[in-house]
Amino acid sequence: MKRSVRAFAAVGAVAALSLLATGCSSATSTTEEEKLSIAFVMGAESDPFFQAMKVGAEEEAAAQGVELIWQGDPKNYSPETQIPIVDAVLAEQPDGLVLIPTDPTALQASADKAIAQGIAVANVDTHVNDLSKIVTFITGDNKDGGAKAADALAAKIGYTDGGKYEVVVGLTSATATTNVARLEGFKAQVAAKYPGISIKDVAYSESNPEKAATNVNNWLTKYPNLNGIFAIDGTNASGAASALEAKKLTGKVALVGYDAYPDNVAKVKSGVFTALIAQVPAEEARQAIKALVEYIKTGKTSIAHEVVIPNFTIDANTSDADLTKYTYVATN
Amino acid sequence: MAGEVIYEVKNVSKRYGSVVALDGASLKLHAGEVIGLVGDNGAGKSTLVKVLSGAHKPDGGQIFLDGEEHSWDSPRQALEAGIETLYQDSGLAPHLTVSQNVFLGRERFVKGFFGWLGFLSKKEMEHEAHRNLEEVGIAVPASNRSVSQLSGGQRQAVAIGRSVAWARKVIILDEPTNHLGARQAGEVLQIIKAAKKKGLGVIFISHTLPHVLEVTDRIVVLRLGRIVKDAPTSEFDGDTLVGTITGTIQTIKVEGD
Amino acid sequence: MTDSNQLAAKVRALASNQSTVLVGVLALLTLVFSGLEPKFFSVATANNILTDWGSVVLIAVGQTFVVISGGIDLSVGAIIGLSGVVSAYVMANVMGYDGTTKAEDAYWPLLVGTLVSVAVGAIVGLINAVLINKARIVPFIATLATMGACLGLSVIFSSGMPIGGPNDFNLISAMNYDYNPLSVAVIVVAVVVAICGLFLHKARFGLYTYAIGSNAFAARAAGINVESHITKIYALSGALSGLAGMYVYIRLGAGSPSSGTGRELDAIAAVVIGGASLMGGIGRMWGTVLGTLILFTVQSGLIMIGVAPDWKKVVVAVLIAAAVAAQTLQKKNGQR
Repeated sequence: MKRSVRAFAAVGAVAALSLLATGCSSATSTTEEEKLSIAFVMGAESDPFFQAMKVGAEEEAAAQGVELIWQGDPKNYSPETQIPIVDAVLAEQPDGLVLIPTDPTALQASADKAIAQGIAVANVDTHVNDLSKIVTFITGDNKDGGAKAADALAAKIGYTDGGKYEVVVGLTSATATTNVARLEGFKAQVAAKYPGISIKDVAYSESNPEKAATNVNNWLTKYPNLNGIFAIDGTNASGAASALEAKKLTGKVALVGYDAYPDNVAKVKSGVFTALIAQVPAEEARQAIKALVEYIKTGKTSIAHEVVIPNFTIDANTSDADLTKYTYVATN
Repeated sequence: MAGEVIYEVKNVSKRYGSVVALDGASLKLHAGEVIGLVGDNGAGKSTLVKVLSGAHKPDGGQIFLDGEEHSWDSPRQALEAGIETLYQDSGLAPHLTVSQNVFLGRERFVKGFFGWLGFLSKKEMEHEAHRNLEEVGIAVPASNRSVSQLSGGQRQAVAIGRSVAWARKVIILDEPTNHLGARQAGEVLQIIKAAKKKGLGVIFISHTLPHVLEVTDRIVVLRLGRIVKDAPTSEFDGDTLVGTITGTIQTIKVEGD
Repeated sequence: MTDSNQLAAKVRALASNQSTVLVGVLALLTLVFSGLEPKFFSVATANNILTDWGSVVLIAVGQTFVVISGGIDLSVGAIIGLSGVVSAYVMANVMGYDGTTKAEDAYWPLLVGTLVSVAVGAIVGLINAVLINKARIVPFIATLATMGACLGLSVIFSSGMPIGGPNDFNLISAMNYDYNPLSVAVIVVAVVVAICGLFLHKARFGLYTYAIGSNAFAARAAGINVESHITKIYALSGALSGLAGMYVYIRLGAGSPSSGTGRELDAIAAVVIGGASLMGGIGRMWGTVLGTLILFTVQSGLIMIGVAPDWKKVVVAVLIAAAVAAQTLQKKNGQR
């Protein structure tokens, strides 16, 4: 009796862990003989960016009549967790693979292996080192997004040459590649067009919105004349918005965030955010799947070898149609 | 000199998988009597102690307390029936104070609503712990001191004093003189004598045979899970006891079937 | 004993008192940070630190019970995320709590949300207890498993995005400082912490917690139902984490699946800085309260004086190492 309870609990624990290991996602159901199957291995399930991408992937897969095998680690954006997932997916022998490599070098071998098996491979968001045998690489432009953020901030704080302005940047970590690209684009744009803006500090939220709020709280105390905040991803955007609301500084300190979470989009309208820079993950996924299906069926594709989809700025003037188009959709 | 039979096991057995740890052991303990339980490692002493203290349920056999049959589901039940057990080296929680240890499991609460919530009457327990220990002949510096600050001998004295103070019927002491110096061990033996004088039945488990010979009225020898000898202490001397334990002296069973 | 001897003994007792030392460390940190950045010494900073303290001290209090009992609970951070998301979901989708909700209509959904949040945490705590008591999985692994499960469930529930509250009702006013370092939310947390402290140090619940962490065998022999008490401890830790989830919901104005990310380490750090031993049997509520305060004073101070963010982690690591080293030294001195 006692032993059976123990065994049951142990099985439960193992099940919980394996649920995580396999990525909690649903689309691994049975294969129908005549359907093409496209495997989609992304970075980290918990990231809304990939959740939004999933929406686009599922729509396009349904439209093309192909089976979608959606996989990725639930939480960790790292090659250590991703490589075994790719291996497991290749064992299912899909016709095509959309891969978002978490590391360009570490995932090269996985891509080569797939190509050697005769599987058509596309890259989305990030790419492996050798793009020559990849059908297409589709990405959003994070540098461009950083530059757009600088423009939106400068407009809100009424930038004029000769003025002195203070801004800070909330990051998630020093190593997140999208953060790095956006910061680069932001800094380059500030240096080129807004020399009066000085970036006083950066800090990390470690993916926790409450920590992002902490950083902003302390900045507001230290820099009473702070003009603006660039919150470089959705987590930082949420944290920064709540910090400004708590200190009743919304509208007084310009806030440009990233990622079109519905909750944050609503706060563009209410004036908490000056602007939100939105990526278009669903569109990236759609184009990748479309390209692969074409390629598998005909041996070539109408989509270019490298496609850059620009980021989109959401502000108070954005039309309702665009808001619907760019706001990330919850999948349940 | 001993009184009524107070605690009795009849023909108890216990096996762990294919290992027979206890094979039809029977034992009678009288009020005011000290029994020495001896045997080599693996002879079944600790299994018998666990059966007697309610920690393990025997596979077969009967247990009687004051002539009434019992079946212990937990040590707590045995404890509540009046059987105190002091385990080898593990009697006290070192991070608690003397009085917290003495009253562990038997706390006193403040009166009223806060008592109902479980708030403790610290002063009362400290005071009484001191008195209880003194009654059984233990002088502990202060009952609000942490046990970890006491010497090994003091700890053991508190542990035994606690058992004696609380025991109503039977007290089981597993290796209470282990690791103690001669003087401290002497003190422990004095406490056992005090327990006997209180009319408690005492079961004393030890490897230190001179202690067993000094303090017990009767000695029960276990070998390979069976009781091979049960006789008044006066029938043994050091050599015959060692011989009986190791099996070099042949024995006949005196009790059971 | 002469007067000077008595005085010396008093000084020694004071120096060996963990709380005194921690208060000293806190004062020293405040002094150093204020010297380097005068704006640090302000009501606003006090509010910043206490607002951060409010969520983490709740899980640190639960962790204090767990650690004193000789266990560890890694699921507390993930529970913040899960309970926040689930209660936000219930408030939004079941109670119809959205951007149009008026302030005076918000209290009822908020109360229900709080109950849901605490219940979610308590259930996860109970699952931890079953894994530990029945399946005999060591607490580290058992709570690691539930941590993972909670993270996964939060994402499933929320699609990885914050579930928003109302726009016109400023929930965050409960956190608002204006002229006061103490917000309503922080005062509520402080009361909860004080009650937990009383139960740890004055009531049987705490006594059994110490007894089990000190010597589980002796506790069992004394008739304590160790499994049942362990169950209560993990349920309490979970429930407090659920309450922390609601606190963070109120702070952020949304239930976010990642809002507890990494907090388990903050809680364990605070408890250890506060003088608890991961071996069990040792720990004080004041230590945890001050340990959490020290942790966030350091975090605020380092941002305020402009230390590069990567160095923050190093400083916190050094603090923890120092706390453990101090503990070991004290133990050595204690054993004569």
